[in-house]
Amino acid sequence: MTSAEPRRPDPEALLAEVGGSGRGRLKVFLGMAPGVGKTYAMLREARRRKAEGLDVLVGVVETHGRRETESLLRNLDVLARKPLDYKGRTLLEFDIDAALEKRPDLLLVDEYAHSNAPGSRHPKRWQDVEELLAAGIDVWTTLNVQHLESLVDVVWKITGVRQRETVPDSALARADDIELIDITPGELRQRMAEGKVYLAETAKVAAERFFKPENLTALRELALRRAAQTVDDQLMGAMKRAGVEGPWAAGERILVLVGGAPVASALVRAGRRLSDMMMDAPWIVAHVEQPNRPAPDPAAAQRLNEALKLAEQLGASTVVLTGDDIVSTVLDYSGRNNITQIVVGRSPTSRLRALFGRSLPQALLDRSAGAALHVVTETAPEPARPAPALSPLHALRQWRGYVGAFAFVALATLVSAAVDRLSNQSANLAMVYLLSVLATGIAFGLWPAVAAAALAALSYNFFFLEPRLTMYIGHAADVLTFGVFFLVALATGWLTGRVRDQARATSRRASAVTSLLQASRRLSGAAKKEDAAKGLAEQLAAASGRKAIILLPADGDIVASAGAPMLEPLSTADMAAARWAWERGEAAGRGTGTLPNAGWTFRPLQGVKARSGVAGIEAGEGADSDERFVLALLDQGAVALERAEFAAEAADAEALRRSDRLRSALLNSISHDLRTPLSTVLGSTTTLLEYGDKLAKPVRRDLLDSIREEAERLNRYVGDLLDMTRLEGGALEPRAEPTDVREVLDAAVERVSRRLGARTLERDFAGQLSLVSADAGLLEQAVANILENAVSYSGDGSRIEVAAYEDPDEVVIAIEDQGRGIPKADLERVFDKFRRLDQPTDRGKGAGLGLSIAKGFIEAMGGRIAAVSPVTATGGTRMLISLPKAVRTHAFLL
Amino acid sequence: MSAHRPRILVVDDEPQIHRFLGPALDAGGYEPVRADNATDALREIARKPPDAVVLDLGLPDMDGKEALAKARAFYDGPIIILSARDRETEKIDALDLGADDYVEKPFGVGELLARLRVALRHRLLREGAEPVIRSGEVEIDLVMRRVSRSGEPVRLSPKEYDLLARLAEGGGKVLTHRQLLTAVWGPAHEHDVQYLRVFVGQIRQKLEADPATPTVILTEPGVGYRFGA
Repeated sequence: MTSAEPRRPDPEALLAEVGGSGRGRLKVFLGMAPGVGKTYAMLREARRRKAEGLDVLVGVVETHGRRETESLLRNLDVLARKPLDYKGRTLLEFDIDAALEKRPDLLLVDEYAHSNAPGSRHPKRWQDVEELLAAGIDVWTTLNVQHLESLVDVVWKITGVRQRETVPDSALARADDIELIDITPGELRQRMAEGKVYLAETAKVAAERFFKPENLTALRELALRRAAQTVDDQLMGAMKRAGVEGPWAAGERILVLVGGAPVASALVRAGRRLSDMMMDAPWIVAHVEQPNRPAPDPAAAQRLNEALKLAEQLGASTVVLTGDDIVSTVLDYSGRNNITQIVVGRSPTSRLRALFGRSLPQALLDRSAGAALHVVTETAPEPARPAPALSPLHALRQWRGYVGAFAFVALATLVSAAVDRLSNQSANLAMVYLLSVLATGIAFGLWPAVAAAALAALSYNFFFLEPRLTMYIGHAADVLTFGVFFLVALATGWLTGRVRDQARATSRRASAVTSLLQASRRLSGAAKKEDAAKGLAEQLAAASGRKAIILLPADGDIVASAGAPMLEPLSTADMAAARWAWERGEAAGRGTGTLPNAGWTFRPLQGVKARSGVAGIEAGEGADSDERFVLALLDQGAVALERAEFAAEAADAEALRRSDRLRSALLNSISHDLRTPLSTVLGSTTTLLEYGDKLAKPVRRDLLDSIREEAERLNRYVGDLLDMTRLEGGALEPRAEPTDVREVLDAAVERVSRRLGARTLERDFAGQLSLVSADAGLLEQAVANILENAVSYSGDGSRIEVAAYEDPDEVVIAIEDQGRGIPKADLERVFDKFRRLDQPTDRGKGAGLGLSIAKGFIEAMGGRIAAVSPVTATGGTRMLISLPKAVRTHAFLL
Repeated sequence: MSAHRPRILVVDDEPQIHRFLGPALDAGGYEPVRADNATDALREIARKPPDAVVLDLGLPDMDGKEALAKARAFYDGPIIILSARDRETEKIDALDLGADDYVEKPFGVGELLARLRVALRHRLLREGAEPVIRSGEVEIDLVMRRVSRSGEPVRLSPKEYDLLARLAEGGGKVLTHRQLLTAVWGPAHEHDVQYLRVFVGQIRQKLEADPATPTVILTEPGVGYRFGA
C-alpha cells in the first residue's frame, strides 16, 4: 500500500478501528497440528478469567476424550448442544441462537475450521463466530495452521493430505489476538506415544504419515510464520493509525490471471502468498473474456467461478477484462494499474497451444515491460472438490451433437448407396458425404462436425472405395481421393462448425443485451414500486428459468411483494434467509455462506442511496442462467425500485402541497364568507347609528333589509359548516323512514322562495309517487341546497323546474335551471368541497359547500346524485337525485 | 352642503358593501362613486381622478395589489385598503406598494370615514408643504431640524430625528417597518425591526407625556407606525 503523505493517519485504518468498536474481540489459539494442547490452553486461561469474575460460557469444546481437558471443563458453564437430524442421524451442533441469547462476556468456540452439519444457519463455524463477534460477544477459538485456506496447497505438498475444512485467511486476520501454542515435534510425538493425543483407529495409518517429524517441523514453521505475520500486521495497523512512517510503501501491485483451467484456485492462493510476502500488497485477480471465442465448457466455467469466489474470500479484488488478444488486454490493464507482479499459470492446454504459437507466459514475458512474471506450473487435479454432476439434460445436450453427426453420416451413406446403385460414379458420392459434414457443422457446431468429418471419411472408404467393406484401399488413385476427401471434410467441418458456434455466441450475447435493454425499458417505465417489483420478478424469472420473488420493506420488516410466475408464500426458513439478506446486505440462502439449506437464493437490492429490497431466485434446475445477466438485472431493479420510491415521495409531497392549498382555500373561504356578511351588518348598523337622521326613509329601510339578509346568509353558512362537520366527522345518522317526496319538495321550495327574486319556479310532480326510504330533514336540506345553487347560478327572469318521477326501484327528483351550465370538465368536480373558490367571479354565491353537502346527505341515505349539463343549447343544469323506494308497506296503509 | 364634495371611489365586488357605504359616504359629505371590479375602477380613475380611493383587496378580475400598483402609475391621491385581518402580509405589501392606510373588515363606517379624513388632510398637507408639524404639545420644525415639547427644546439624536421627521412628513399615513428602515438606515437594514422598537421607545421617552399610552407615534401592530397628527 502506498502512503502518499506519511505521518498522517490513514483514514481507512481509523475507520476500521472505529468500525471495530462494539464488535466482540476474537482470540485464536493457533497450533501446528492436533494434540499440541490448544483446547487445554484455552480452557485453562478461561478458568483464570472466570475466577476474575468474567462471565465465561463454553459454547462448544471437543475434548476427544482427553481426561486432562475434561477435568478443566468442570466448574465452567457449558452450553447444551443442539440436535440436528441429518440423513437419519442425529448430530449435536453448536447452538448459536442460545449463545446469542445468553450474551456471555466471553464465549469459547473450539475448532474454528469446523464444518457445520447441513441445515445449520452457516455452513462453517467461522461464520458463526463472525456473527457472534458482530453481536458484540468476545470469542476464543482454536485453529490448526493446516486449515488456513491459502496454505491448503502448501500443506498438501508437505503432508500429502488435502484439507477439506478450511478457514479463509481473512477470518484469521480478523483476530485481535493470536496465541501460538507451540511444542516441539519431538514433544508432540512423545505425547502421541503416551496416548495423550486422540486418534481414531481407522485414521491411525494416515495419521502416522501426517505426524512424521519432518511434516511436523514444516507445519511448525508455517504456524510460527503465520503468527509472526499477524503480529506484523497488527504492528503495521497500529503504525498506520498513529501516522508513523513505516516500511510498507513498497508500491507493489499484484495481478493474478485465471481462466477455467484446474490450476485457477492454486493461482489465487499463490497470489495471496505473494501478497503476504510483499507486506499485504494489493492484489487483483483477473479473468480475460474473449468475445469471439466459444463459451467455455461448464466445468471450466465452474472452476473459474470458484477461483474468483476464492479470490474474494482471500481478500483480492476481482475484475473481468474483455479482449480477444489476452496478452495485449492484460498488458494494457497492468500498465494502467501500475501492476508490478503478474502471476500466471501454465496448464497442459497452453502447452498444446504452444505447438502452434507461444504459450501465454511466454507471450507475456516477451511483451511485458517492467512487471515481474510468476509462472505457476502446478498441474494437480483438485480431487477435494467434487465436480458438479452433469444433469442428464445437459449430458444429452452434449451428446446430441455427436449422435446427430452419426445420423447425418449414416443418412449420407444410405443416399450414397442408392446413388451408387443407379449411376456407379463413386467419386461423386464424396460430395454427398461432404454435405453431411456441412449439415452437422451447421446444426451442432465445431466438434460434432470434426467427428462427422472423420466418420464420413471412414464410411466413404469402407463402403465405396474398392475393395468395398474393408478399410483397405486398393487403387493408388483412391488413396489420393481418400486423403483429399478427408482433408476437405475436416476443413469443411471445422469451418462451418466454427462459424455456427460464433454465430450462436453472437446471437446469445445479442439476445442477452436485448433482454437487458427490454428489462431496463420496462423497469424504468414503472412509476409505482409494485410495478417495478413485479417487472423485476418477471425479468428475473425469465432470465433464470426459475421462480423469482421480490421482497420489499414494510414497517421495519420485509414482505413478499411480487413474484413470478406468481407470488407464493415463503417458508419460515426461506424467510429467515431473506431477512438475513435484507439486514446484512449480503447474499443468503442456497449457494451462499448463510443458511445454504434454504430453497431460495436471496440477494439484497442495493440502490444508489439505500437498500430497496431483496430479490430471491428459487434453487434448482433451470434454463441457461447467466449469472452476470441476473446480477445486472438486480442492479437495474434496485435502481428502478429506488426511483419508484422517490416518485412516490414526490407524489406524497405534491398531495401534501395540494392539501395545504385546500386548507388555505378553506381559511380564505371562512374568512371571506363570514366576514363579508359581518361587514355589511356592522357597516349598515354604524351608518344608521351615525347618520340615521340624515338618511331618507327608504334608504334606512334598505339598510335594515340588508342587515337581515346578511344575518340570514351568515346563518346559512354556519349551518353549512356544521352539516359538513357532521358529515366528515361521521356523526350523521340518517333515519330511513318511508317519506313522501312531494312533501319534502314543497318544504324545500318554500324555504328558498324568498330568494327567488324575478325567477319563476315550476313544480311537476303531480300524481302517484311511491314513498322513498329517506330522512325527511336531510332530504329537504339537500334539495334546498340544490335549489339555492340553481338560484345563484341563473339570471333574473329564468325558470327553475322541480320534477319527480318513478323508476321501477327508485324515485328520481330532477331540478333544472336555465343558468349558463357547467363546463364538461367540471361536471366531475362540481360536488367537491370549496370548488367554487377556484373561480373568483363566483364569489358571494356561497362557500361552495352546498352541493357537496347535498351529495353527502343523499349518499348517506343510500341514494345517488348526478349533474347533467348542458341541458339545452343555451346551457342549463339538471341535478338528478335517485332514492330507493321504501319497503312496500304503503300498500297496507292505503 | 358645501360646493365641493370630495369624490370617493369605492372598489368592491360585494354589492352589500356598496349598499351601506354609498349612503354613509353621502351622509358624511362625500360623493360616492361605485366600481365593482378593478378594470372599471382603473378606467374611472383615469377618466376623472377621484379625491380618494377605497379599494378592496379581493377583487374578481385582478388581484387588489396588482390594481393598486397599476393605479399608482398614474394616480397619487390617497388610497385606503379594505382587507381581511388574516391577510396581514397582503396588507403590508399593499402599504409598501403605496397605499396610504388600511381598514380591516368588518369595520364601522365611523372608522373608515375618520381614516379617509386623515388621508385627505395629509394630501393637502403635502401640497401645502408646511414646514412645522404639530402633534398635541409636540412641534417639529422640518426646516430648522428642531423639536420642542410645550415650547421646551428636546434633544434628539440624528437617527431619532430622522425617524420622527419621516413619520411626521407622512402625516397620519401608516408607514411600514420596511419603509421606515429603508429611509432611515438604508436598504441593507430593511428587516432589522428591532432598531425601530429601540428608537421609537427612546423618542417616546423624550416626547410622550405618558410613554405607555403614546399619542405622537402610534403603533400599528405587525405593520408599522403612524404619526399622531
